[in-house]
Amino acid sequence: MLTASGVPALDMKAVSKTFGASTVLDAVSLQVGPGEVRALVGENGSGKSTLIKVLAGYHAPDTGAEISVGGRAVPLHSPAASDAAGLRFVHQDLGLVGSMTAYENLRLGVGYARRAWTAVPWGRRRREAAEALQELGYTIDVEMPVARLTASERTAIAVARAVTGEGPEPHVLVLDEPTANLPGSEIERLFDLVRAVRDRGIAVVLVSHNLGEVFELADTVTVLRNGRHVTTCDVAELDHDSLVEAMIGRPLDQLATTTQPPRLPPVLEVLGLADGTLQDVSFDVAPGEIVGVCGITGSGREVLASLVFGHGRTSGVVRLGGRTVPPGRPDLSVSAGMGLVPADRQAKAVFPGHDVTENLTMVRAGDYSRHSLRRPAEERRATEEWIGRLDVRPPRPRAMLSDLSGGNAQKVILARWMRLEPRVLVLDEPTQGIDVGAKTQLHQRVREAAASGAAVLVCSSDSEELAHLCTRVIALVGGVVAAELLAPLSAETITSAAISETERNNS
Amino acid sequence: MSVTHDVPTSGGSESSGSPRGTARTVLDRLALDRFSGVYGLVAMIVLFSILLPATFPTSITARSIGSSSAVTALLALALVLPLAAGVFDLSVAANLGLSVVIAISAEQNGMGAGPAITLALASGLAIGLTNAALVVGLRIDSFIATLGMSSVLIGLAYWTTDGNPLVVPPGSTLVKLGQANVAGVPVGVLYALVIAAVVYYLTEWTTPGRYLYAVGGNKEATRLVGVRVNRLLVGALAASGVLASFAGVVLAAQLGAGSADIGPAYLLPAFSAALLGATQVSRHGRVNVPGTLVAVALLATGIYGLQLAGAPIYISNLFNGLALILAVALATRAKRS
Repeated sequence: MLTASGVPALDMKAVSKTFGASTVLDAVSLQVGPGEVRALVGENGSGKSTLIKVLAGYHAPDTGAEISVGGRAVPLHSPAASDAAGLRFVHQDLGLVGSMTAYENLRLGVGYARRAWTAVPWGRRRREAAEALQELGYTIDVEMPVARLTASERTAIAVARAVTGEGPEPHVLVLDEPTANLPGSEIERLFDLVRAVRDRGIAVVLVSHNLGEVFELADTVTVLRNGRHVTTCDVAELDHDSLVEAMIGRPLDQLATTTQPPRLPPVLEVLGLADGTLQDVSFDVAPGEIVGVCGITGSGREVLASLVFGHGRTSGVVRLGGRTVPPGRPDLSVSAGMGLVPADRQAKAVFPGHDVTENLTMVRAGDYSRHSLRRPAEERRATEEWIGRLDVRPPRPRAMLSDLSGGNAQKVILARWMRLEPRVLVLDEPTQGIDVGAKTQLHQRVREAAASGAAVLVCSSDSEELAHLCTRVIALVGGVVAAELLAPLSAETITSAAISETERNNS
Repeated sequence: MSVTHDVPTSGGSESSGSPRGTARTVLDRLALDRFSGVYGLVAMIVLFSILLPATFPTSITARSIGSSSAVTALLALALVLPLAAGVFDLSVAANLGLSVVIAISAEQNGMGAGPAITLALASGLAIGLTNAALVVGLRIDSFIATLGMSSVLIGLAYWTTDGNPLVVPPGSTLVKLGQANVAGVPVGVLYALVIAAVVYYLTEWTTPGRYLYAVGGNKEATRLVGVRVNRLLVGALAASGVLASFAGVVLAAQLGAGSADIGPAYLLPAFSAALLGATQVSRHGRVNVPGTLVAVALLATGIYGLQLAGAPIYISNLFNGLALILAVALATRAKRS
């Protein structure tokens, strides 16, 4: 993967990283030439993001690692040094300020004038911004707040910020899941953008789950698995299946795509559900079933749970026990017997400044009052019971929820709904960032809820979890149901179904 | 003085973060942080009684502090409901001012006290519902919506009075209702205590009250557990509107006179009391009724004592302003620890 000159744009040697006892990166070496587009692929937990964070100077690698850019060694564990060496990063969330214009965003980090108190040459800044974007193939109104631009235009601004400007010359651009938030129609434009950057002689490292994109855009691909370097080769040497096999480390089984009607009549029916990302998704869940939903970021998996619960959908019908659940009315969803454990626990489930008792009894809190007078003693008794059942630690009803570990807090959130014996329980990333012990306990409780008659829907990016927990898994690709997997389930089949060829309509 | 000295010890919430065993449990048991305002109040009463033995420890002092702080207490109680839900109502003071003007001019125009009071309360309800329409319906930030509303109300009050001072007609029933003493207690204090009991019941002992604090903690999470958040917010803003106009009625009845500019001066003391109150009594640093009453008493006693000791009139502005800043600083620190 070297160019004629022989000096790689990026050269990483023997990069290892251990956190406590676990080795996340194991002596990974990597070379990328100038003007080369390198895809970096691997399952969740394969070490991709850690590698990128080492590169950015955010993590210190273990001793023995060497990184050089354009032949010059880069001091490790220093974001400033990595920037000065010409390493540039565009993260999935882009890091733009939505209310500011393109030209304001472009110089957000470096400042607008040469000195703090000199007047800013705004006219020049506007022209520079327009030119920089023009060079990348974008004609954008630089005076428009970026929140009002399209997703690919915003990506272009983030990329322009990374590769232009007065700072040290850029050598390497790392793009983390650049198309994850893009609608299909804008993906081609992004590809052109990446090619424009590449044509300047900048090495591009493309981190992506989307293998269609890898084949279309990358020259070469590096596969990581369990923190180890598996292979690096030209993309032309691989096809979709062999790449997936390299990622999961096993031969690919034939995917089971048969559909069988569930035994009991379904309690949750989803018909033609759609929003910007999802396109016409239908499925149903019967009492006692645990149905999983897998899919890469951007497949619609990340929005499905809240859409089913009632978040504003553009079309489609959700029925619970034959009755339509109207969108945008969580109160009606709850009274119909549905519960949601959202993915973003802090933002959407935790009541800060409230203790475990209050957090646990917040749904239908009226259960604990008589003649409209609250009965705190009953709340506490119920809480103690659930703390015992789910093994919440510390087992103190009056502990602040924010003082609990993530796993214990999640147990409280799950108990909040299990207490109601919901007919439908929707779980979105139920164990993300949660330690293994708590994860097993949470899974056990979810199984018990299903065994006692709840229909459970689990949306998760963790294939292992889905394989463990579910009776059936739906794979979303590009906003549609691409496959339905039945038992016996394995993490490998789930992962490969999620990353199978995208069926985006590129128009 | 002793206030600025005593209240920071309530930052003992800081020590509750430290894992030191016995010292901490003793502190916790004394609940030093939650009740520091009460200790401060006692300390202040003792101090002023020693310094001013002839004038301070008298029933006149008690009555005077009571009747002068009744209106502030009522206005602070009006703030408790929206603040619990994390919503500002900056229009309460202007609402109070308009209500004073409406009550007095209604009586001037020959209405009985009953209809005059009803009219004033109805104006408060209308203001509260308008605030709700702006905040919930149009989704304007509550700070801005009620700030604007505040200015509109002051304008309306001037419009109604042409800027002239108002006086109740001779033999006014309104004044009889406001200047009476019941068993030696100024009747305004009793009104404040009754409203305090009602708001206390609502916030601490009912399910909607709990949901109100939940909205203040995390609005989206409250929505997702199936609570009709918007209805709660409408209720809270409507209630604060009615309570603020009730405070105006009490003020009109106490003074027997009023003018269009009477309201705004009450805004800061009410906010100081409600926010300083949030550092008191409640375990979780929430705006609450007992804490608010403690804060009102603390502020009123401090100001009265200082003025009795010869401090100039503007001491009340200094005192209330410092208390507000201190309250917010304490709350922020408690949250960080």
